[in-house]
Amino acid sequence: MSLEPRVIAALGRRALSVQFRRAQLLMPTFVLPLMLLAVIASGTSSAQDLEGFPAVGSYLSFVLPGTIIQGALLAGLTSGIALASDIESGFFDRLLAAPVRRVSLVLGRLAGTLGLSVLQTAFFLLVALPFGARYPGGVAGLAGTVVLAAVTAVGIGGIAAAIALRTGSLSLMQSIFPFVFVLLFTAPAFFPRELLTPVLADLAVFNPLTYVVEASRGLLAGDAELGSPIAGLGASLGLAIATTALAVFALAERLRTT
Amino acid sequence: MPPLDAAAPAVEVRGLVREFKGGIRAVDGLDLEVRGGEIYGFLGPNGAGKTTLVRILTTLLRPTSGSARVAGYDVVTDADRVRRSIGVALQEAAIDPLMTGRELLRMQGALHALRGSEAKRRASELLDRVGLTTAGDRRVGGYSGGMRRRLDLALALVHRPDVLFLDEPTTGLDPTSRAALWREVRSLNDEGTTVFLTTQYLEEAEQLADRVGIIAGGRLEAEGTPDVLKARVGEPMLIVTVDDPADADAAREALRELGRVEPCAPGGTPERVVVRTVRGKEAIPPAIRALDERGVAVASVEVESPTLDDVFAAVTGSRLEGAAEPESAAA
Repeated sequence: MSLEPRVIAALGRRALSVQFRRAQLLMPTFVLPLMLLAVIASGTSSAQDLEGFPAVGSYLSFVLPGTIIQGALLAGLTSGIALASDIESGFFDRLLAAPVRRVSLVLGRLAGTLGLSVLQTAFFLLVALPFGARYPGGVAGLAGTVVLAAVTAVGIGGIAAAIALRTGSLSLMQSIFPFVFVLLFTAPAFFPRELLTPVLADLAVFNPLTYVVEASRGLLAGDAELGSPIAGLGASLGLAIATTALAVFALAERLRTT
Repeated sequence: MPPLDAAAPAVEVRGLVREFKGGIRAVDGLDLEVRGGEIYGFLGPNGAGKTTLVRILTTLLRPTSGSARVAGYDVVTDADRVRRSIGVALQEAAIDPLMTGRELLRMQGALHALRGSEAKRRASELLDRVGLTTAGDRRVGGYSGGMRRRLDLALALVHRPDVLFLDEPTTGLDPTSRAALWREVRSLNDEGTTVFLTTQYLEEAEQLADRVGIIAGGRLEAEGTPDVLKARVGEPMLIVTVDDPADADAAREALRELGRVEPCAPGGTPERVVVRTVRGKEAIPPAIRALDERGVAVASVEVESPTLDDVFAAVTGSRLEGAAEPESAAA
């Protein structure tokens, strides 16, 4: 099956540009994660003195991957919200009436999510710099983190798109917003896995975000001991492929049953 | 794409049924044919099944049974070819308010496989055609209803479709915007585009459509040119109101040559004389002469022709909401 790069690019461009024109979507994707980072970095920095906390140069650099992954989660979720909005408004029918492969409609939407996550991650990394974040992993570490976050955003965007396509409900999409935090806090986003409670630590093993956040930490610090890039890439890619397939299937089901 | 062969049906529907949950049949065994190059007006009240039919014909909804072909292609088994052949402007223009008109047109161009420069050129052409060149780089959220409809029409034309589907294109528009859209639809049709138009406005069907289909309860209740449909309901009525009710019989006698004089209904207006005549408005001068020769003083003479609403009432038993008064000519 051949892809339609022009269609995917056009839909991705549209998804991205509309995101920047919709304040209610910009707030959660760019501002909210930074607010949480400010609270965590300033309020829980003494956690690094706990026994078992890895030796890191900067606490901010340690928790920043949590913020980056939170951003990726929110980028993915807002992508589903925007899709549900297109379905409710009838705009999605305009796309369905066009002679394009149905899979391109899903990939176009996720291309926008990927672009958003790249910009968002670069923004978080830059904003954290003047506050003391350091990236010993260098350019390769930064680039790897951006890629991991973008692929993870696509993975979450796939789930969100699947739900939007199955339900077509904007209000339902908005109501799943809190679940983002459940996913985030069942991964060692802001604390090392060793310091989580036994229950959370057990849950974290099954959360793909665990491997992504640890890999980002390792990449930024240039220390593979903090997280394996291969495991992170495997987890994010696996998530992205599985959920994109789920979204494509959800669209096929939607078309079959309408 | 070249215009469709006028002899070949642009739309061909056979025994089409669409059933929704709860067994509700929005389209119930519909048969119809739209010839290439014509404007076909599909008239019916809200909930009659117009939009359901358009959604099936534009591949957005699957039929429960029956078949439908558009531009020669089956809407289920050859949906992609149907999509390449049609332009669609759905009810209540679903246009992203955060995008500009030009951005939307360029995106639509990409969806129809136009290259970047081609899509850019086509967007400018179409903005010009629908009179939105100045507004083209503004966000659609700031457009008026008429501007949105015109943009919606432009979006449907990006790939020069053979068949254009317009689902209630002027609902909610002011008379000026409505007239502008009608002009554009006529001009497109003159260029060879077949137009399938749904409407709940009688005037719209009458002004635009070569043929009209009346749908009610998911069924096609009547079909034909507006004139043929109106003739089916009855001949125009010449209505003479005499000054003195005592002259009514003399007036009836004088007007007998013009057509079939209706007897005065019991309890009716005694000064009113009604003649059914195929001559319509042309019967007014001879009527006045005949009445004058007999010395009958006349208060008014008018002709009422059946309207599509009369046709609608005759075939469905109900009238369309907001239907116009009967067309009349008076002397």
